[in-house]
Amino acid sequence: MKVEISRRRFLQGSVAMSVVGGVSLSTSSMIASASAPAKKIGNDTKKVATLCEMCVNKCAAIAHVRNGVVEKLDPNPLFPKSRNMLCARGNSGIQALYDPDRLKYPLIRDGEKGSGKFKRVTWDEAYAYINEKLTKILDEEKDNRSTVAFCAGEGMAEHTFKTFFTLFGSSHFLNHASLCLATTVSGYSLTIGGYGQADLDNAKYVIMAGANRAEAIVTPDTMDFFKRTNGRGAKLVCVDPRFTNTAAKSDKWLAINVGTDLAFVLALTYVAIKEERYNKAFVENYFNGFETYKEHILSNNYTPEWAEKITGIKAKDIYEVAREFMAAAPQAVYYQGRRTTWSKNDFQLRRAMALFSALGGGVDVKGGICFGKSLPLVEHEVPAPMYAQAKPRIESKEAAVVGGSGSWVAFRNMVLEGRNPYPIRALFNYKHNPMHNMPNAKKTEEFLKKLDLVVTIDTMPSDTVMLSDVVLPECNYLERTDPVVSYGGIEPSIAQRNKVVEPMFESKPVMEIMRGLSAKISKPLFEITKKYDEDVQSAIEDDDEETVYAEFDLTKAFAHDQEELNVHAVEKYEGAAEILKEKGVFYPNMNEYFKKTGVNDYEYYPEHKRAYSVRNLKFNTPSGKIECVLDSLTKKGIDAMPVWKKEYEMAIPEGKFRFITGRHAQFTQSGTANNRLLLNLVPENYAWINKRVALKMGIQFGDKLEVSSPVGKTTIKAYPTEKIGPDTLFFVHGFGVSSSALHLAHNNGGNDAKILEDGIEPMHGSSCLHDTIVAIRKV
Amino acid sequence: MNAISLKNLFSFEKTPLNLLMAFVTVALVAAFFAGAVIYILHGHHAYNVTRQHPWGLLISMYVFFVVSSTGLCIISSIGHVFGIKEFQQIGKRAIAGAIITISSGFAVIGLEIGHPVTMLIYNVLTPGLTSAIWWMGTLYGLYLTFICLEFFFLAIKENHTFSKIFGICGLLVGLAAHSNLGAVFGFLISRPSANGVFYPVYFILSAMITGCYLIFLMYGFKYKMNFPEKVRVMLVKLSKILGMLLAVLIFFEVWKILTALYGDMPERAATIMHAIKHPNFWFGELTLGMLIPFVVILVSNAQAIKATVYASITGMVGIFFMRYGLVHDTLLYPMTTLKRAEYQLAPSFVDYFPSATEFMIGFGGIGLSLIMYYFADKIFNLDESEETHH
Amino acid sequence: MARYGMALNYKNCINCRACESACKEENGVLLLPDHYRIWVGVKEAEGEYPNISIASQTYHPSQCQHCENAPCQLVCPTNATHYSPDGMVMVDPTRCILCTYCINACPYDARYVDQRTMTVDKCTFCSDTRLANGETTTACQATCPTKVRVFGDLDDPNSEISQLLAKHEYRRVKEHLGTKPKLFYIL
Ligand SMILES: Nc1nc2c(c(=O)[nH]1)N[C@H]1C(S)=C(S)[C@@H](COP(=O)(O)OP(=O)(O)OC[C@H]3O[C@@H](n4cnc5c(=O)[nH]c(N)nc54)[C@H](O)[C@@H]3O)O[C@H]1N2
Ligand SMILES: Nc1nc2c(c(=O)[nH]1)N[C@H]1C(S)=C(S)[C@@H](COP(=O)(O)OP(=O)(O)OC[C@H]3O[C@@H](n4cnc5c(=O)[nH]c(N)nc54)[C@H](O)[C@@H]3O)O[C@H]1N2
Ligand code: SF4
Ligand code: SF4
Ligand code: SF4
Ligand code: SF4
Ligand code: SF4
Ligand SMILES: [Mo]
Repeated sequence: MKVEISRRRFLQGSVAMSVVGGVSLSTSSMIASASAPAKKIGNDTKKVATLCEMCVNKCAAIAHVRNGVVEKLDPNPLFPKSRNMLCARGNSGIQALYDPDRLKYPLIRDGEKGSGKFKRVTWDEAYAYINEKLTKILDEEKDNRSTVAFCAGEGMAEHTFKTFFTLFGSSHFLNHASLCLATTVSGYSLTIGGYGQADLDNAKYVIMAGANRAEAIVTPDTMDFFKRTNGRGAKLVCVDPRFTNTAAKSDKWLAINVGTDLAFVLALTYVAIKEERYNKAFVENYFNGFETYKEHILSNNYTPEWAEKITGIKAKDIYEVAREFMAAAPQAVYYQGRRTTWSKNDFQLRRAMALFSALGGGVDVKGGICFGKSLPLVEHEVPAPMYAQAKPRIESKEAAVVGGSGSWVAFRNMVLEGRNPYPIRALFNYKHNPMHNMPNAKKTEEFLKKLDLVVTIDTMPSDTVMLSDVVLPECNYLERTDPVVSYGGIEPSIAQRNKVVEPMFESKPVMEIMRGLSAKISKPLFEITKKYDEDVQSAIEDDDEETVYAEFDLTKAFAHDQEELNVHAVEKYEGAAEILKEKGVFYPNMNEYFKKTGVNDYEYYPEHKRAYSVRNLKFNTPSGKIECVLDSLTKKGIDAMPVWKKEYEMAIPEGKFRFITGRHAQFTQSGTANNRLLLNLVPENYAWINKRVALKMGIQFGDKLEVSSPVGKTTIKAYPTEKIGPDTLFFVHGFGVSSSALHLAHNNGGNDAKILEDGIEPMHGSSCLHDTIVAIRKV
Repeated sequence: MNAISLKNLFSFEKTPLNLLMAFVTVALVAAFFAGAVIYILHGHHAYNVTRQHPWGLLISMYVFFVVSSTGLCIISSIGHVFGIKEFQQIGKRAIAGAIITISSGFAVIGLEIGHPVTMLIYNVLTPGLTSAIWWMGTLYGLYLTFICLEFFFLAIKENHTFSKIFGICGLLVGLAAHSNLGAVFGFLISRPSANGVFYPVYFILSAMITGCYLIFLMYGFKYKMNFPEKVRVMLVKLSKILGMLLAVLIFFEVWKILTALYGDMPERAATIMHAIKHPNFWFGELTLGMLIPFVVILVSNAQAIKATVYASITGMVGIFFMRYGLVHDTLLYPMTTLKRAEYQLAPSFVDYFPSATEFMIGFGGIGLSLIMYYFADKIFNLDESEETHH
Repeated sequence: MARYGMALNYKNCINCRACESACKEENGVLLLPDHYRIWVGVKEAEGEYPNISIASQTYHPSQCQHCENAPCQLVCPTNATHYSPDGMVMVDPTRCILCTYCINACPYDARYVDQRTMTVDKCTFCSDTRLANGETTTACQATCPTKVRVFGDLDDPNSEISQLLAKHEYRRVKEHLGTKPKLFYIL
């Protein structure tokens, strides 16, 4: 974030807004927000380049529209990140657009919280209601803006919502990071200077441990890699307690005991070091603290034989993998993984993985972990005020490092348990479904009920929507132009979601929602600030009120049309704005570089222009080297080097199971549970239980099971299979929705959020989703 | 042809058996029309046929009827086409039965084929000359025409020459149509259990058997088991023929099963193994359809006519299972041997059980036959009229 | 005239079922049981945990084979099923009488009854929705993340499919039936 020199104390800095300074308010956008949405009817057939938002990947798509109706989404070959593909979910985006259960109008709760009763209101009534509640809360809390929290799921317009949060002045922003990837991003960043992009197009040896790229699709990794498996260029070792689709493509599948990966990696490291198979030149030149690490690994005797007892993986296999990996290095990658909310040792595990990868030298080289280039956008700033009464984050001491995206679980639990030093009274929620995506749904429910005001901006009546006080319907992604985004990487590019059809019903883009809401609340909230902030009072005395208010004016960030903002964001690339509008994708020299090389194949950058090595062997860490020892963390109670601890070995009582969660290739977390096309492919989730165990328990395919843990229970059908071990239970996340407004998803399958215990790991307070022991019972 | 009033048409002797038959007939006819209405309202949704099991009870019943028809036609021809004296008395009754059963068959298949009108048009405009169904359908159409003419000249015009000419045409076309119906199954290279020469030949054989059973039933009912000598003599002969046909059929079946099982070709052997283990086969088809009649005939040296009439009842039930098995067993083996989704059991033998509507239409067809037979019996003189003898 | 066929790099297949959903959207296939033109076959795992046979878990994407000697065509009483000039096996719904004989006759389970038209439907190689509009790929091919399918003209020696088939060994399904299927599974 770029900081402007503040004139006053309450000008804390600025938000990178992609807002153009000095451009006056666009009248067209004002009218747009005020006019009623009309569905275009006519005899037009058109193609619009847009981006998918059925999951995080944002694949480029071309929408075919006829008579105002989206008929087909095709992949757009221009985008290097999505390599001319749309997955099953991407194809079914049309069903999300035309889902009859969609949120259509603003709603205000009209009954007990959680009763699911709402009344339809106008946008203005909704804003007025929020305004009334907020002014009351902030008045009572003496303008402590942190009493209002903000949470968001990942999305192209998340930034718009976050801007609102920043201008609002709360300390609490909570997003998916602590439920998703915080530990691996920081584990790799603190160790090798970045999370990077595994160059799966060129790697010769890949260990994918707990990363299921065949089902948990990540672009371009999924597309690049599986063309090269099965003896066609890359060797794959899949480490997973389940036999996944990724395992089916592997050369070797190592079934690991849940939560024991760290022991596995330490043993790999032991072999590499003990047998001196690591890349000596690389280690000598680019490692910091290697001797200490070596000493640590050897003296602790992290041998494969030791690891075999913990992980269940044969020592012989560990030797083999370590040796093969180092033989293939530096074109060898210990894949970073993505959802790394497993267990207490997550951060150390990711550190150990990064270090093992780096021992082979596969960092910042072709076929290794690359950092790639980015194509910066023009960022303009809006000054963000600082509120004297706003207090710091409540959960910052709950883990060693609580960053800007917070520790969701810790935050929720503190509020529930009354350990918050000051009241938390309201929550703004954008495109996020904590009821389903945070462990221990009962606690989330109580938490939401405890708040005076929950405002949710969503497209669907999710379980979280059902526990909200105000529901604001955002339009579907095909109905809006979102902020242009730059995707760095080996083949960087810029991509833009263009509006395909007009928003239906009364839904609108979050940009317009923020515009309308801020217009309503800006002045009244300023009055409260004026009341409690002496600096503001004296500033008003110095200048006039209008000048001071201008600093606090929430509306200034949302005054512009998204289209207009996007044009300015890419203004330093000639012609980019038009190309993005027309083709959805832009990168310098695209016209020259982009080539069709086969019926299915495209080249985006010529080989020598790809950003494999960019760091010049200077890594983005404090020492500029690969960091073996992080002494700075020890003060915070975090080990400087990855250590295996006895407490990581979780006993599973006889007859019980350790529960694990994860993805399915046809669903996105909780967001696609009501999609009729996807449900047509897979009607519901099933609990994976070992076949022999099931036989012993008299459980057959399709039998209903009640899965219970100390925090709750859920029912689900059984899928006995040999693809999972005897003491593990798995089912796909995202099903078993409680909201009866989602007609297809309601009570369809099992809901893991109801049974997961809500432990957190010590580094970032990320949730531990694989630490729950469950019992099952046939019902 | 008898001049007959409406009142006459509906009056019959109120014996318990007659009353029962009347009730069953009316119930079945009602079921047929109710089923037809359901079909018109709901289309194929009313049937339990699926992608895996596209043919079901209605095809079985269609086969059941047309096999009956062909069988009656063949048996009737023994007398009045081939001139074997004792059998001439069967002529009219059998041809009437042949017309009636095939009409019921067409009524049933008309409600199975999705677009009968389209069929009439494009059968002619763009005939599929490689299609066994096309030949079967076309030939059966022709067959029906011929046997109607045959009946016309036999029962109404009483012109023996013409009736004989059309009788021969009907017989030949009927045999062709019928073996083509066998070929409908025999040509299915996709279904090893059905594919081959077996069905076309077996169809003729089983048709003759069906014809015999039906003659026994018709005569048994007509004479209330008190057969005049002339009839008795004919039935004893017919019984001998039937016994021989059954022996051949059993012999055929045994070899069909053995060749299917031999070598254990999975798709064929497993299918037949699965089929013969089912009571539909060993009880329905084998015991009721073949063994009981065969044993009755064998033990009594073909003299126990009454018992044979009763055995013809089990025989016809068995024939039904034969037709049902023909369709169902052909489709038993799943074409998709892999699962289509992870969360399902591996595909195994395809399940099928007819829906209520299918039962209504399929068995309702029997009602159509019964009522038509009743009327025919009333309107026409189905017995040998002395004048036609020269 | 072309002779269209499809080569499948089936080892690329990750069973993501993008092809299935793309086909449904492209061709307006109803979301009902039995309604699918394309599918991916999976087997139950062989072996006992943790020794699962990886080979047993290969995925088999499939659809109508556009047989050169198509049993479905042979049996059709009205020639509703016919060969297009480009060698594709097509169903003309105006002539289909819904006898479902072809469904019985197809050895590949490629056909089903479309509840909307009450006629038989199956893969058309997207000829009406895409090829007719000048596209050269099918919907299932274009959308596939790992590019399993290569569609093209088998008679053109320079087409990618011809080149692929010249270079690689392949197998076809139930070739012994004499159907001359035009889906080629590249080994
Ligand atoms: N189709 C699809 N694709 C997606 C998403 C989606 O919802 N659907 N979501 C996207 C998002 S937000 C994310 S974060 C990523 C997630 O991508 P991934 O992290 O790759 O996927 P998950 O399924 O969450 O977890 C991966 C695997 O971890 C295994 N596992 C569980 N416990 C252990 C363990 O102790 N050790 C090891 N080695 N493995 C273990 C599980 O069996 C599972 O197969 O996917 C992204 N892509
Ligand atoms: N038990 C369990 N919990 C998990 C995980 C797990 O595997 N198991 N995975 C974790 C991970 S990796 C992640 S990333 C998180 C994800 O958690 P979330 O960020 O909550 O993601 P989704 O489940 O996709 O829910 C997204 C919500 O956004 C709504 N939505 C979709 N499109 C739009 C839109 O265009 N605008 C608006 N306003 N709303 C929209 C959807 O209706 C849905 O309610 O979950 C985490 N929690
Ligand atoms: S991976 Fe699938 S759901 Fe995600 S953005 Fe791409 S097409 Fe959409
Ligand atoms: S889209 Fe491609 S990878 Fe996915 S299931 Fe279909 S063929 Fe397989
Ligand atoms: S696969 Fe089946 S439907 Fe397709 S051409 Fe061959 S026989 Fe006909
Ligand atoms: S169902 Fe239609 S396409 Fe199939 S064989 Fe019959 S008429 Fe031909
Ligand atoms: S070629 Fe077209 S019609 Fe055939 S399966 Fe693929 S998408 Fe469907
Ligand atoms: Mo995630």
